[in-house]
Amino acid sequence: MKAVGNPATGGKISQTSDSDLIKKARTGDARAFTQLVQRYEQLVYGFSYKVCRDKDKAEETLQDTFVNVYRKLDQFNGESKFSTWLYSIVTNNCLMKRRKRKLDAEMVSFDEPPMSDNHEPLSIPAWTDSPISSLVNSELRARLDKAILKLPMEYRVVFMLRDVENQTAEEAAKILKLSVPAVKSRLRRARLFLRKGLNDLMVE
Amino acid sequence: MVKKTKTVHRHHPLHCADVFSHICENLDADLDSPQCREIKRHIAGCPNCTALLDSLKKTVYLYRTLPIPTIPASSRRKLYSAISLETGRRVK
Repeated sequence: MKAVGNPATGGKISQTSDSDLIKKARTGDARAFTQLVQRYEQLVYGFSYKVCRDKDKAEETLQDTFVNVYRKLDQFNGESKFSTWLYSIVTNNCLMKRRKRKLDAEMVSFDEPPMSDNHEPLSIPAWTDSPISSLVNSELRARLDKAILKLPMEYRVVFMLRDVENQTAEEAAKILKLSVPAVKSRLRRARLFLRKGLNDLMVE
Repeated sequence: MVKKTKTVHRHHPLHCADVFSHICENLDADLDSPQCREIKRHIAGCPNCTALLDSLKKTVYLYRTLPIPTIPASSRRKLYSAISLETGRRVK
């Protein structure tokens, strides 16, 4: 058994490429795998936290993800970026946990932009122009958490991947095994849903 | 309060519904491209579409800038302990 280094001591992450580390890790090189983990631990933890809004769940997802990554290393074919593959494992993890909690997309209704019966737009109030950084107070933060947690996981992961993690529609489609139009449709509805959740706080 | 008053757009060939759909899907798209010029023109003259675009951009901005914690030391210890178990198991 090869020893795993102690990352807590803060050793520098090497410049070795991901693909070289993966090759070594596949042969049982625990140090190479540890370097991969060090390189991506914050990405995985941060993304998990953004999706779950909960430190305990993010910690659990962090562990589950890297254990799964190690078990599935042989399945990584190198056609996509390692980070893309990681996102797909984290996302699957979050979706599996969501299924365990038996939450259901049908529980939430998605409203399209407000239109009258004649398909004419109803008045949309403008949002405040106050410096937005000053708005990130505790009340707003609580509202942001509440809105994202109400959004079904299938939509939440699309929003986080596209709008927060800056993945392209094509990358998000690959991660989620969806078509690009399906990603766009979910993103559109997620954005509208979250906007609606903040609307009364933000109107001038 | 949201006032449910109708807005009439006599001079815009595009309907707000079409523009809404475009805005919602392409917040960060390049609105200077030729195919987007008409949409850009519509938005410039339409308070509703301007308000929708602005509020969606602010929504995304707020989620992007929410602080994210770094991994707590205890979580990192558990992670590397789990990995050590896993890598040891495979080599045996």
